[in-house]
Amino acid sequence: MLYLMKCSNIRNMILLKDIVPAAENNIETKFILLDKGRVIVEGQHKTCLALVADETAAVHFQLWGDECDSFEAGDIIDLTNGIFSKQRNNLVLRAGKRGKIMKIGEFTMSFVETPNMSEIHWVPDPTNSKKYIQGHVISTRSRLFPPIP
Amino acid sequence: MVASMVSNLTIVAPHEAENHFEVSLRQAFETLQPNLRPPFSLAIPKPDEYFHLNCAILYGVLTEPHLAKTHIKHLHGIVTDGYAIFVNSLVGVVHHLYPKLVGSVKIQLIWVVEEMVHVLAVGYDSLLVSLLRQIVGGDFCDANLWLCLKLVTLFLDKWQCLLEESPHVLSSGLYTFLRVLSDHCRPAKANVEKLESLRRLEVHFCVKIVREEFRLCLKIGRDFIRLLQDLVHVPEFRDIWKDLVLNPSKFSASEFRDISDIYCMRTSHRYALLRITPEMETQLLFLLTHVKLGHQKRHQMWFAAKFLNEPDRDTVIVDIVRFICCAYHPPNEIIQSDVVPRWASIGWLLKLCRKNYVEANVKLALFYDWLFFDERRDNIMNIEPAVLLMVHSIPKYIDMTHTLLEFLLLLMDNYDIEHKGIIVKGVSSSFQLLASKGVIQSLDVLTSCNALSPVLKEGLGRLLSGVKLGASNGYLPG
Repeated sequence: MLYLMKCSNIRNMILLKDIVPAAENNIETKFILLDKGRVIVEGQHKTCLALVADETAAVHFQLWGDECDSFEAGDIIDLTNGIFSKQRNNLVLRAGKRGKIMKIGEFTMSFVETPNMSEIHWVPDPTNSKKYIQGHVISTRSRLFPPIP
Repeated sequence: MVASMVSNLTIVAPHEAENHFEVSLRQAFETLQPNLRPPFSLAIPKPDEYFHLNCAILYGVLTEPHLAKTHIKHLHGIVTDGYAIFVNSLVGVVHHLYPKLVGSVKIQLIWVVEEMVHVLAVGYDSLLVSLLRQIVGGDFCDANLWLCLKLVTLFLDKWQCLLEESPHVLSSGLYTFLRVLSDHCRPAKANVEKLESLRRLEVHFCVKIVREEFRLCLKIGRDFIRLLQDLVHVPEFRDIWKDLVLNPSKFSASEFRDISDIYCMRTSHRYALLRITPEMETQLLFLLTHVKLGHQKRHQMWFAAKFLNEPDRDTVIVDIVRFICCAYHPPNEIIQSDVVPRWASIGWLLKLCRKNYVEANVKLALFYDWLFFDERRDNIMNIEPAVLLMVHSIPKYIDMTHTLLEFLLLLMDNYDIEHKGIIVKGVSSSFQLLASKGVIQSLDVLTSCNALSPVLKEGLGRLLSGVKLGASNGYLPG
């Protein structure tokens, strides 16, 4: 936490509505965990998909290893050096090997569930083929996590 | 490395960031650790050094039980501010960290609090009140019962000192222990052995205040009666109740001639706040100021899962409703925004009650200020949520309107037959004021509502037309 505190001035925090798929570990953001799916064991590792959101958008987040059991719905999480990319056909945000997530609070964060950045069809930018831009919306909200009745 | 030997104040889960406040205390301790062993420096520290030294000593007291006496001696030697900084930091520990504190740290905390009371440190009264707030209503876990035991013992041990120096702390203690006694004296808990000695001390403390220092009960006001009534099945409190009703002169307080004197005293919102932990307060305030109507379900689920799910925890809903009515009065920007209004939160909480007696107590908490309402001394914001909940429930949740209105009319007739006049006046002036101030457009929304049962409408009509209510009331079951 101290590390975050000291570096908060130079960290370039972005909102979830502004994340774009890329093969880079450089996403610094903060969100609240809304829902968790089932834990899946893949080889030696556990993974678990989660729905997370901030005031501007939601996205699917992949928890990995002991992260799966360390976070609960309502936790406010800080992501350092995250990556937003395809994992087994799911477009997910995750900490990855170089990134880190930390619980920094709980409950006191507003959020929206639309748009969901994982439910957008991303297409290569015609002016820069290395980048993606938003194409059509596949679903306004998560198809994996049903809304609360 | 010295740093690796320093233990934590709190239990930190994997992937959990440390609390800033704890980090700042530990840093002070790590930096100044060489200075914390005798012989102590005789140099007079500069103000910022003094502050850090206080933080370091506090951290030492809490994490090094075997050296606690040395640390305290050190503190007594250097103190120049009446312990204000030290106590203020202790309040910070209680307020921000208490639920997560390591068991041994909690033991040290209580020990050092006793020391601070002993030296009458500046701010020890706020420190005791902040600890009272950490006692959780409806929680029978060992840690919570332990805190009850430690505090009631401390209050009894320091009785004379508190009485002379900070009587308001005794009133806060009384309010807290009357409330937790309603948990600890539930008939279902009668045979729980571990409660027995605690219950005896809590009863002894409360009875001592009521019998010996009745003016401290008057300081609480009408909520003192609300809590006391939940305990009339306990012999000691039944006796008190009888005397209050039949023999008021037994209580030595010149302001007190009749129980209605207490009915007329509005209870300060400080007491409502006393029964809500800071953590709960933070989340409730977030619900009431940031979460938008129609998007509240997840936050409500999380709140209920954290604070209300355990068996017996739903009794705390009574305290939460009292908090919402009395201690949180939203500004106009919030009232006019799309944030979940107070009445809607109370409707949600009522639905969470699992036992009938809890639900009845929640409704009583919701209407309590109606019964004795007087425009000159009471606040319309205390009675606003109940009327809005009744009116807004008409279109889709008429059952809610029914159950609330029925309860209110029954209360009016049965709450205190000897003082029915005061109560009828209180309820009718509540309705009149809520309409005249525009909280509801008109009382017609209730009196002319087709969906509302004719019996209730008749009862309401009679009340509002100012007809003196006689003994025969159609809506009364008996």
